Amino acid sequence: MSRNLSILLIALLVLLPFQVLVLGHLALFNIGFCFIYLLFLLLLPNEIGYVQGMLGALVVGLIVDIFLGTLGIHAASSVFFMFLRPFWLGIITPRQGFEVNTLPSIANYGLIWFLLYATPLIIMHSLTVFFLEASGSGLFWLTLSKAGLTSLITLVFMVALQYLFYPKGKA
Amino acid sequence: MGQLLAFLYKYRAFFTFLILEVFCIWLIVSNNNYQKTVFINSASGLIGSVNESANEVSDYFSLARVNRELAEENERLRAQLLNLPESLDSLVQLDIDPDTTDTVQYYLRAAEVIDNSTSLVNNMFMINKGRGDGIEEGMGVITSRGVAGKVRSVGKRYARVVSLLNTRNPISARHLPSQRMGTIQWDGTDPKRARLLYVTREVDVAPGDTIITSGFNAVYPKALMIGIVSAVAPDANQRDLEIQVDLSVDFNALEYVYVIENKYIIEKDSLVENDPLEF
Repeated sequence: MSRNLSILLIALLVLLPFQVLVLGHLALFNIGFCFIYLLFLLLLPNEIGYVQGMLGALVVGLIVDIFLGTLGIHAASSVFFMFLRPFWLGIITPRQGFEVNTLPSIANYGLIWFLLYATPLIIMHSLTVFFLEASGSGLFWLTLSKAGLTSLITLVFMVALQYLFYPKGKA
Repeated sequence: MGQLLAFLYKYRAFFTFLILEVFCIWLIVSNNNYQKTVFINSASGLIGSVNESANEVSDYFSLARVNRELAEENERLRAQLLNLPESLDSLVQLDIDPDTTDTVQYYLRAAEVIDNSTSLVNNMFMINKGRGDGIEEGMGVITSRGVAGKVRSVGKRYARVVSLLNTRNPISARHLPSQRMGTIQWDGTDPKRARLLYVTREVDVAPGDTIITSGFNAVYPKALMIGIVSAVAPDANQRDLEIQVDLSVDFNALEYVYVIENKYIIEKDSLVENDPLEF
């Protein structure tokens, strides 16, 4: 358990500064962002309660918001993200069930399962972020393409990051 | 009562979700209101100093371009100096304009941009000058090339500026050849272009025409550069012209800006109840 805890702590302490300082306003073609901080929320163990999960998401989202100057938008989307996560985890439970004390990562459940797990949640999060941000300005297709490209980039970064720090014993 | 509590407890996940989301939406709404003091001031010292040290790293990569821009600005200013009317000559009779105050109207303060965004729909940037340097809410922000934005919230050492690239930041403008008024408004897509609204169809607008500030609000002096017309077409309602303007400021490469203080702003605002940050 302490190993998982340290993985989560490192994830938080590395991903959040990386998000706000480096990735902050970088945008591919001016529409594709990368919300790598979601990896921390995705890696939270299955056993964590609804309430704790959403409160954690609120804090993480607010920190990102304060730095990006989009107060409330990332917080709202992250809370929504953590609200959907347990339902989705219940639907895509592996056949033998979740093992106790394992993080839902590629190393523990495989690439295919992780993509199945992360993709819809990330898409929902990106859609919420960009539609909240563009509220009422009528840029439907631009907002949709922003959300699409952002989800793709975020997923690629997440998978790459997990293979980069793949635990040695499992390979 | 017990049943109610049991109900609340059973669906506690959903109720927590609702409460948190309402809190977030409240944050978003209060942050959108430019007139109210924001709940969490994102121009605070901590955020500013973190942004500033992150910016110090990337500063070095733009030194060459910043140098070139400074040289160009110096060249322009020197040319203006050379073209000034000749110095006093006792043989020429001098007309002195009657001016009761005889003071400077505008003060400029240089600041550095330490955090910037151009790819959102409502963009802001942050500068490293705050209330301690005399910056106040509502002051105009320009670069050597033209209009950049308007100060929105001020901390002790830093300030957040509403960029021109913000769909909620319309700017009063003038079409130079015809002297007609319009409003510059960004539409949220291309950071190099904005639209000039409310110019009616009979006005003769051609690509290449200059768009400047009107000076009708107290934020910007008049005749500051905004951009060049790039395309003109009648709009769908056949009432106004649909004018695309190439902005003179490159917002992706914003480094140094000037904050304008208008000494007469109180006098002007008391004459016209003018709210530059709202529609």
